[in-house]
Amino acid sequence: MTHAVKFHPGMMLMEQYVEGTLSAEVALAVATHIDLCPHCQHLCQDLHNDQGSQLAKLAPETNNNADDFAQMLEFITAQQPNTGSHAPKQQESVTVNVNGREFRIPRALSRLVTQQSKWLQLGGIATAKLPAGEKTHVSLLYIDKGTEVPNHSHLGMEMTLVLSGRIYDESGEYGAGDLLINSPDDTHTPHTRADEDCLCLSVLSAPLKFNKGLVRLLNPLQQFFY
Amino acid sequence: MLESTVLSGHHDNSRAKTRMPDRMTISAEPNIRTGQWEDALTYVAVNADKAAYAELFSYFAPRLKAFGMKMFGNEQQALEMVQDTMLNVWKKANLFDASRGCASTWIFTIARNVRFDMLRKKQSRKDDISADDLWADGDYPEQEGSTTEQWETMLMSEKLAPHFDALPPAQRMVMQKVYLEEKSHQEVSDELGIPLGTVKSRIRLALDRLREALDDTRS
Repeated sequence: MTHAVKFHPGMMLMEQYVEGTLSAEVALAVATHIDLCPHCQHLCQDLHNDQGSQLAKLAPETNNNADDFAQMLEFITAQQPNTGSHAPKQQESVTVNVNGREFRIPRALSRLVTQQSKWLQLGGIATAKLPAGEKTHVSLLYIDKGTEVPNHSHLGMEMTLVLSGRIYDESGEYGAGDLLINSPDDTHTPHTRADEDCLCLSVLSAPLKFNKGLVRLLNPLQQFFY
Repeated sequence: MLESTVLSGHHDNSRAKTRMPDRMTISAEPNIRTGQWEDALTYVAVNADKAAYAELFSYFAPRLKAFGMKMFGNEQQALEMVQDTMLNVWKKANLFDASRGCASTWIFTIARNVRFDMLRKKQSRKDDISADDLWADGDYPEQEGSTTEQWETMLMSEKLAPHFDALPPAQRMVMQKVYLEEKSHQEVSDELGIPLGTVKSRIRLALDRLREALDDTRS
């Protein structure tokens, strides 16, 4: 049976996602969750409708240079509008291959994974970076069957979204669509079971203090995961 | 033109005057007919109708500017956002689908995306995460079968599971064979060596219990 998503982004994250005020990397994790979660797709639609009606009810800006809008209107209507009816784009399904396995990738990641870096492998764990801003790292994280990710804490915030398979940690089990958010204080030891591997999207904020210098040498794993 | 029709409407409408003080009628929102903006977008999409577009523009441009001022705190950027947004409304009106939501929602998503990409462009390289990656604009493919339905079924089974486990063992056994192993009532009767009537009454009792348990959890 397919997994029913149990761990959703909180309402505040959803609202900020819809407003467009989240950072791009966090928004990406939320968007990917929504791709996998019909429940949040409905919620998201409701929040959009709400924002739309707020826009329609907004008091119009009155301090305008009359020419600004007149020129703008003239400029716009001089352009050629697109024609043809709305043909729903057929999403060709994008896949990634790792460890001899092929995974289907949700819509939100489909363009970005075409630009992923090479897979770096360490034991049963592999990561590949996706393009992102400088302060936050976004990567695919693959964990083979029966593998334990060494106990770690986070210097920054960590978001992990399960894309496929199943992973367990001290507080529970997570399947496709489940979103885990760990703050710097959380330590955990995620692991897979012997019969199922796992592909995740990982969003890590940069540990600013430990970016450079000797501290890095003390924690070779950090470089790998981050 | 929208403004003027509305104003003249108020002036020769004595009913409005008797019902509320004058200064309220002046500040009242112009009357927007339900579906007006959706129709306007359709005219734009089908005929590149400039008059219909001008109405949309005169309503939404100043509101988008207010939205932009709030977001950017800067008139130049706010106007840039208004122009990009309203240009998209003009050019892509053919993509508007009223069955997915109203015009104001669609216009909001365009403005939100324009703003996001404006900010993002300033701080990073291209090929980075863009609004197109982040927002599907309600364009979720209807996955195999009806996902919502499947999902509701899953949720239901998840909700049901504990109550199922709590059924008296004799009832649970029958339910398991009928509903999970999909055996016929007769097969179950043969297998357990109990009369067919007993199988049926255990099923009825178990279903009653489950129904009751679910009604309790619903609120």
